[in-house]
Amino acid sequence: MRFTRTAFKIAWRESRASSGKFLFVIFAVAVGVGSLTGVRGFSQALATMLLREARTLMAADVSVRLLAVPSPEQLKVVEAFDRRGAVSTRVTETLSMVSSKNVENPAFVSVKAVDPAVYPFYGAVTFAPPASLAATLTADTTAVSDDLRIRLKVGIGDSIRVGGVDFKIAAIVTGEPDRLISGPAVGPRVLLSREGLARTELIRLGSRAPQRILFKVPASIPLPDMVAELKKVFPDDQISDYKQANQNVTRALDFATSFLSLISLIALIVGGVGVATAMHAHLKQKLDSIAIMKSIGARSSQVVQIYVIQTVMLGLAGGTLGVVIGSGVQHLFPAILQQYFQVKADIPWLPASALQGIVAGLLTTLLFTLPPLLSIQKIKPGIIFRRDMPDARTGWRQRLREGRGAALSGVLIIVGLGALAVWLIGGASREEALRIGSIFTGGLLASLLLLAGVAWLLLRMLRLFVAVTPWKLPSTLRHGIANLYRPGSQAESILTSLGIGVMFTLTVYLVQHSMLSEITASAPPGMSNVFLLDITEEQKPLIAAMLSKQPGLEKPPELLATVSSRMISIDGVLLENYQVNGKPRRFGGRRILTSSAALPEGMTITQGAWWKNPKPGDDMVSVTDWIARGLNLHIGSKIEFLAFGKPLHATVSSIHRIDPHRLSSRIDFILTPQSLQGLPTVYYGAARMKPDSVTTLQRTAYEQFPTVTVLNMADVIERVQEVVNQVAFVIRFISLFAILAGATILASSVAGTRFRRIREVVIFKTLGATRGRIAKIFSAEFLILGTVAGVMGSLLAIAFSMVVMKQLIKVDYRFHPLPILIAIGLTALIAAAAGWLASFRILGQKPLEVLRGE
Amino acid sequence: MIDVRGLTKVIDTGTHRVDILKGIDFSVPKGQFVAIMGSSGSGKSTLLGLIAGLDTASTGEIWLDGEEITKLPEDKLAVLRGRKIGFVFQSYQLIPTLTAEENVLLPYELVGGNGDGPARAKELLNEVGLSDRRDHYPVQLSGGEQQRVALARAFMVRPAILLADEPTGNLDSTNGQHILQLLLSLNAQQGTTLVLVTHDQQLAAHATRIITLQDGLIVQDVTK
Repeated sequence: MRFTRTAFKIAWRESRASSGKFLFVIFAVAVGVGSLTGVRGFSQALATMLLREARTLMAADVSVRLLAVPSPEQLKVVEAFDRRGAVSTRVTETLSMVSSKNVENPAFVSVKAVDPAVYPFYGAVTFAPPASLAATLTADTTAVSDDLRIRLKVGIGDSIRVGGVDFKIAAIVTGEPDRLISGPAVGPRVLLSREGLARTELIRLGSRAPQRILFKVPASIPLPDMVAELKKVFPDDQISDYKQANQNVTRALDFATSFLSLISLIALIVGGVGVATAMHAHLKQKLDSIAIMKSIGARSSQVVQIYVIQTVMLGLAGGTLGVVIGSGVQHLFPAILQQYFQVKADIPWLPASALQGIVAGLLTTLLFTLPPLLSIQKIKPGIIFRRDMPDARTGWRQRLREGRGAALSGVLIIVGLGALAVWLIGGASREEALRIGSIFTGGLLASLLLLAGVAWLLLRMLRLFVAVTPWKLPSTLRHGIANLYRPGSQAESILTSLGIGVMFTLTVYLVQHSMLSEITASAPPGMSNVFLLDITEEQKPLIAAMLSKQPGLEKPPELLATVSSRMISIDGVLLENYQVNGKPRRFGGRRILTSSAALPEGMTITQGAWWKNPKPGDDMVSVTDWIARGLNLHIGSKIEFLAFGKPLHATVSSIHRIDPHRLSSRIDFILTPQSLQGLPTVYYGAARMKPDSVTTLQRTAYEQFPTVTVLNMADVIERVQEVVNQVAFVIRFISLFAILAGATILASSVAGTRFRRIREVVIFKTLGATRGRIAKIFSAEFLILGTVAGVMGSLLAIAFSMVVMKQLIKVDYRFHPLPILIAIGLTALIAAAAGWLASFRILGQKPLEVLRGE
Repeated sequence: MIDVRGLTKVIDTGTHRVDILKGIDFSVPKGQFVAIMGSSGSGKSTLLGLIAGLDTASTGEIWLDGEEITKLPEDKLAVLRGRKIGFVFQSYQLIPTLTAEENVLLPYELVGGNGDGPARAKELLNEVGLSDRRDHYPVQLSGGEQQRVALARAFMVRPAILLADEPTGNLDSTNGQHILQLLLSLNAQQGTTLVLVTHDQQLAAHATRIITLQDGLIVQDVTK
């Protein structure tokens, strides 16, 4: 016990004496902990808010989400609940086009129609200027989101045209309670009353009408019972009470949290590598002290105690600073995500996530200092006598014994990191956490080994290059390169840690970039780029005529009749009992059907044959290959559908391949023409236009058929790009912390070689070198380090992107040199900045002071 | 007290082999003051290090107070040093992050002592004339003062054996004399067995026995 106090004293005073060097180590740990606590703190705050506001987020107790107008039987059940004391209301959300007098082109929007008298049951719709929903929405008024106001160049009091009818803008919508549950909005919001929606004729029998029936449920009706009863009458629809809906959102949040936590863990591990290299260098400087202590009776365990205390102090300091950084990061998240989730989560200081961050920081620090700490045992007290003598060669037995220690600490680090990853993933399923944890640890280990290997190789190649190059390199460059090989320079660890950050950030960028260019480029000539939704039987010939007259049309438009239906059974087995390979298959029953007499042009049949003049009652169906695989359908399988109360029986006569160029081939079930006769039909259209003609078509179609939605693929791609960009931005933001940790390690290593640098500076100055010349040498060293790390990280990022694109997204990676060059340049600059931060004071050293002091 | 039998030390660097000690035998009875002399590279410091268990012998045995130490594991050796051996080095070897008093107290704390340690540390610092400098760090002390602290530290746990490696080697003659006097008086007070390595004739003259080494062998062993 007595010695423990002394151990504390030595640990504390040594740390204070090396404060410059250790500050960087603390910061390296803090960066990782900061990103971790930031991610987890925000996620916890959001989860707490979700739990507290669960009802508000659904605006109800129970919700039924349907894709079409409910049937009279279904409405009867809803009314029965109303009689038992529940209150219900319908919220319709659909896509449409709106226009204003002030702009030429109509805008694609997301229309939401509610009953202002009852909606929402929980929470409130907010407006600017503040007003109540009931006072704002009437049959003739609307409220729109601010982005639409800007796009249509309108203001409060102006009119916009929705579904062929004018509405006066009464207010700007600033918040909707159920925005998070209803998913990210596809377009700007237009809020209508239900009377308003009825005026527009946007919703007709058979048309798509995604809607929710919301219930406020009295205590007398137990929620699970109600959900079970509703499931019977709405078999294909999504029914959930507020608790389940909350669980779904929470599950998504948990997934995002685990993913971002693992990226933060990479930053933390990079910090851990920094601690290990700094501790290694520190112990090298403390060899004498350790030997003296051992020679006056200290056991190895007592010396280790000192440095464990020191490590814990560094870990704790890093962790605490990290928590402070984390609280800043935590506050950045709402701003980043605001556009998609109008969530105003209070961000309180959460002791649990702070503690978790500190523990993770401490554990990582301790794990990575294991090898240097274990090396203390190997320090012989005799070195204070035989400093000048060469080291005796050790026998193979001893080398094996020592190697065993290193291997053991390596295993401990891997197992420890794996456990940390599993802990951070958490979640309900332990097997899943273990699986992801092992993949993460294995992948990380492989990357670290690969990076270390490449670093080793590049450093040797650079040295070889200087030795054999026929060119006369400038002396500053030669000295700069030579500095990379100075004793204790730790160039390999710097390259590895900086490289992993670059690799990760750039991989995210490259995958994002390639994915987006793939989306844009995957509209090859011939593929439709304009889609028309919700065309009625009467509109069909008029639209066909209008389309054929459109300028810029590149191929004849397709107009496809569809009937909404429900799949009931396959080969006589009810869908809910249907099994594929012995497992129940949850395959949503709602299906879109189409019919065709002749084989649509360009479609390929893979099995069976297309029908020839089928007779009435001879109902046959062709299914897409992926549906056939998923439902184990084969030629001769009998399928029963139910469309608008009418049963349809069809036998699978062929299986066709999906052709992205043909709208018809994308419909999973194509029936014989007579099968769908007499059923309410909705038409969908697809056309290939010159990109600059699309807005003209949108305008013309909107003027003549205001209820028809014209979807420009370019707009959709833009929305997808926005979402991808947003997700990628968050990932890159977190992975940037790894680069920061890597740069800190560079600074820490430069601070660790401070005395050697001072000596060099002094010798250079004594020999007549100017400060500028020395500055150039140092700059060359840092820039080379950064460039090599950038090149290394980029090479691996390209390799990783290729694998990710090929394996996960099944798309070829496209090489773009510019982002890679920018990444290398930026890494070089970051490295130079970090290096100079740690060494700028060295330049001012007066030679005599140092030489005298020796 | 100290029994050295057939002691050799060979270093094989892989490219060449250095025989530092080629077979040393001698015994030192309790309370004797032995000076080991010899020119640079004769192996005297290595011998002292081996007696202290700071290094491993190639062959031979070393018995301290009836216990053979060459086969002892590292930690047992450390405990043995802590209890039985005091050490004075040529270049003081104080822990730079501890004050003079804390340095003196360190061996006592390492053996987990719980008795008069702090009082004894003060008393020893008083005896070496540094009671007013006990809160100073090594870097704030002169060479002579640092060596006096090292002397106090060496006597802290009342060791049976005191090993000194050129204790005055880094000091001017006045300071050297001072240290020698302190060493002798503390040794006389404590009744310690003292083995001192030096190539200073004047210093060796105070010993009761002088062993001279040359090229790793004892060439002379004279007891007064």
